[in-house]
Amino acid sequence: MSRSTLSRRDFLKLSSAAILTACGLLGLEGLFRFLTTQTEPPPPTDFDLGSASNYPPGSRTVHPDIPALLVHTQSGFSAISLACTHLGCTVESKPEGFTCPCHGSRFDLQGKVTRGPAQKPLNSLRTGITSDGKLHIYTNRITPS
Amino acid sequence: MRRYFLLAASFSLLLGLLISAWQEKRLPKPIALTPTLTGQVEYCLTCHLDLAEISSSHPVKTFGCVLCHGGERLALDANLAHSTMRGGKNPSDFSVVQASCGGDNCHSGTAESYRNHIQRATTSIQATYAGAIANIRYTFGAQPDLKARMGVFAVQVPQSTSGITELAAFNPTQETNPFVQVFGQNCLTCHLSAQPVQTGGRYDHFSGCSACHTPTQSTDLTSVDTSTATDVHKLTTAISYTQCDTCHNRGNYNLRSITFEPRQDLPADRLHDYYQPIAQFTSCEWKLDCIDCHTRTEAMGDGNLYSVKKDIQYIQCKTCHGTLTDLPQTRTLTDPNDLAFRQATLNPVIDLKLGDSILVTEKDEPLWNTRVLPDGTYEMFAKADGQRYVFRPVKGSTCTQDPAKQDSGSCHQCHSVQR
Repeated sequence: MSRSTLSRRDFLKLSSAAILTACGLLGLEGLFRFLTTQTEPPPPTDFDLGSASNYPPGSRTVHPDIPALLVHTQSGFSAISLACTHLGCTVESKPEGFTCPCHGSRFDLQGKVTRGPAQKPLNSLRTGITSDGKLHIYTNRITPS
Repeated sequence: MRRYFLLAASFSLLLGLLISAWQEKRLPKPIALTPTLTGQVEYCLTCHLDLAEISSSHPVKTFGCVLCHGGERLALDANLAHSTMRGGKNPSDFSVVQASCGGDNCHSGTAESYRNHIQRATTSIQATYAGAIANIRYTFGAQPDLKARMGVFAVQVPQSTSGITELAAFNPTQETNPFVQVFGQNCLTCHLSAQPVQTGGRYDHFSGCSACHTPTQSTDLTSVDTSTATDVHKLTTAISYTQCDTCHNRGNYNLRSITFEPRQDLPADRLHDYYQPIAQFTSCEWKLDCIDCHTRTEAMGDGNLYSVKKDIQYIQCKTCHGTLTDLPQTRTLTDPNDLAFRQATLNPVIDLKLGDSILVTEKDEPLWNTRVLPDGTYEMFAKADGQRYVFRPVKGSTCTQDPAKQDSGSCHQCHSVQR
């Protein structure tokens, strides 16, 4: 019975190849993870508020995640951004208007500045109703109130 | 030999890759925040999620961390993340304050918009130390009068209305008088850029804006435990006397040796333990906090350069109490953009409304924490703890003071408390 022998040279060659293969696999795994890593998604600009029928005429609904105030009047839906035009803090909706808790800016019910330091009115956001009756607010389409 | 080398190199490469993979596994799962103001994601909250909001004016959701502190916003390794922070723990140090706190809408706007805080603070006499330097240089013959010529750093204010438009940087090594040199070595410890003489105790404090606006646990009277000086993540305009005392009552200068000798005791009773034994105090002076009387321009300057504290400090007893012949000055709030509203918003100890009348100083600065009451008395809410005080004007009282003598020493003759 013959016994196969591994020469020192072959052993070194085989070991090196095995280790290099492991290195290659590890490197490939790293490259794969690098290429497939998800960067942080940009902030959403389209918010689905559910069925428009949930917001009856006369309602004023704060959506803190946007942040925005949805208003339903006789003339339809409108939305006011609750991001203060001074530095972007979320303003609080009060019966008489809006108040910024950060630096004290105040806005009337239409979003116009009544006290600084903000200089510009709150922005209006575009609203829309999809074919399936869902109400949407779009934060990438803004106009001064 | 080449085979051994190749094997060793391969093994080293594998080991390196395994260590890298192991280190990456140890990194925490990132917690992302995209502040409204920057719109750029940052991972600071991965480790600092438990940190309290620094103030209601700087919510982390709006400002994030990096806008003020600097740092590597996407790094998950602590050393790397902190490697480019501005001012270490303190981005308000005057060496970096412009980058950290500046901006037209922040703290380096115009005086008209009340946003020139950095310009005022960095030219104030608390920052330049110009008065002390001028005094020592004059005393030892290095300059012919007491007019300030030097500050701890060079500063120019071309539009200064005080008659001083620039200060050169004080360099003790260029002084010829040995006493001035020693002063430079031992006594430049009492300005807003100086590091505290004592660290870790009652008199510990930060530099720059945070010297006043960031308490330590031992100076923050709202803190549960005041026995240690652990840092507090806080910016406040409700500054208690304990914060002022970290500089203004922390020891004495020894005029023989021209050295500063920090006090070693931990005063417990404010009236008896805190202050110099020979000093006299009215009730206001030891019950209220320093900022209840001293205004924003007295403390932070008005944007001009001055030679001495008394050039900028002007509040007297009569500012609030009036004299035998005159009531204190007041103003009815008719403008919603009055500075009083801004200040009352930042420290809401009083609910000011349009139509309220408040006390104002001789320079028309609003004492926004006061209000004139219908019966002719006044109420004041302490800025640090909201405590309400009601007080009367001198006019119509039994006070016999000469209206021309309104310095505190004159008032102390009758109104000083027993110590």
